[in-house]
Amino acid sequence: MRRAAAMMIGLAAVASTLAAQDEEGIPVGALAPAVTVPDLAGRPVDLSRWLGQRPVLLEFWATWCTSCQAMMPRLAAMKQKFGDAVKFIGVNVTVSETRAGVEAYVREHRVPFQTLYDAEGVAARAYNPPATSYIVIVDRRGRVVYTGAGGTQNLEPALRQVTGR
Amino acid sequence: MRDMARLSGVLALLATTAVPLAAQAAAQGARHTPTAVIVSGPDVGSAAPDFRLPWATRDSIGSVDNDFVLKAHRGKTVVLAFYPADFTSGCTAEMKAFTDRYAELFGDDVVVVGISADSLGSHQRFAATLGVPFKLLSDPDQRVARRYGSKGTTGPKRTVYVIDGAGNVRYRDMRFGALDPKAYDALKLAVQNARRG
Repeated sequence: MRRAAAMMIGLAAVASTLAAQDEEGIPVGALAPAVTVPDLAGRPVDLSRWLGQRPVLLEFWATWCTSCQAMMPRLAAMKQKFGDAVKFIGVNVTVSETRAGVEAYVREHRVPFQTLYDAEGVAARAYNPPATSYIVIVDRRGRVVYTGAGGTQNLEPALRQVTGR
Repeated sequence: MRDMARLSGVLALLATTAVPLAAQAAAQGARHTPTAVIVSGPDVGSAAPDFRLPWATRDSIGSVDNDFVLKAHRGKTVVLAFYPADFTSGCTAEMKAFTDRYAELFGDDVVVVGISADSLGSHQRFAATLGVPFKLLSDPDQRVARRYGSKGTTGPKRTVYVIDGAGNVRYRDMRFGALDPKAYDALKLAVQNARRG
């Protein structure tokens, strides 16, 4: 029953990008906002440490998001390939989450990014993500070159672009 | 396409009373400040337009002679949550949060409805999947969404209205952030204020 429900959400999430188009996100070409968001231990992490310094990949994610789960292996593969040049950051949206639950998920699944916990919604308001699984790729000048959502995103072209590979 | 959307936004501005959200946020007195956009639809303090729409819940689909009628709920606080589409991840986040935190955000004496352009069958499946404890209304041609300044291209924009027992709009967020925890805090506060009268 639970698997069927998860599958329904998963299948439907493929179509989510269509509806998400009605919402905004951050425009390609914009400067990525260098907000400060705490990590899971509550320590503030200032994104300007990386934005404008090196390419960055940000994913707005949640443990209950099936599209995010579908993207994990793809992100892991991309991190393997580009992780030496690109900073991978996962911003947990904290909606319908607990810090302990996210910590346990991160430990269990070895998520392929540094996890931030956006309990105050600072990153959510700055990037206006239309959906969980929303991924933003930023070049070394701090400009957004890619945005997308869903469990089947092909990130390699944008990552090649920002790394020059 | 983007130019068309911009043009329709300008036309909507000319055709209706436009309210900058900055002023609206001040009126709401809430900490959450939505991003500035130009919006239409009933403003805070004005009467909420009445409407009638068919509905589904996680258990059933309403019969044809039993539509949801807004004015039938006078005397109660009503929350209208327009959203783009069933089963999309942003809408799943919003409806899941409303479901998980129903008692905290709303309470038993508040009438909450979600409104999108989806069919009743889709609504019933979506509500059953998430266990949504309130009605989802079907507005296929976005007739009601348009009256509430929430009409989008493929489905309604994500907006929230809180209507008090007298039928007046007490709060609205014309760009409800489904992934912003502060948006839920602001909604909770608005519902509490509306319930107090």
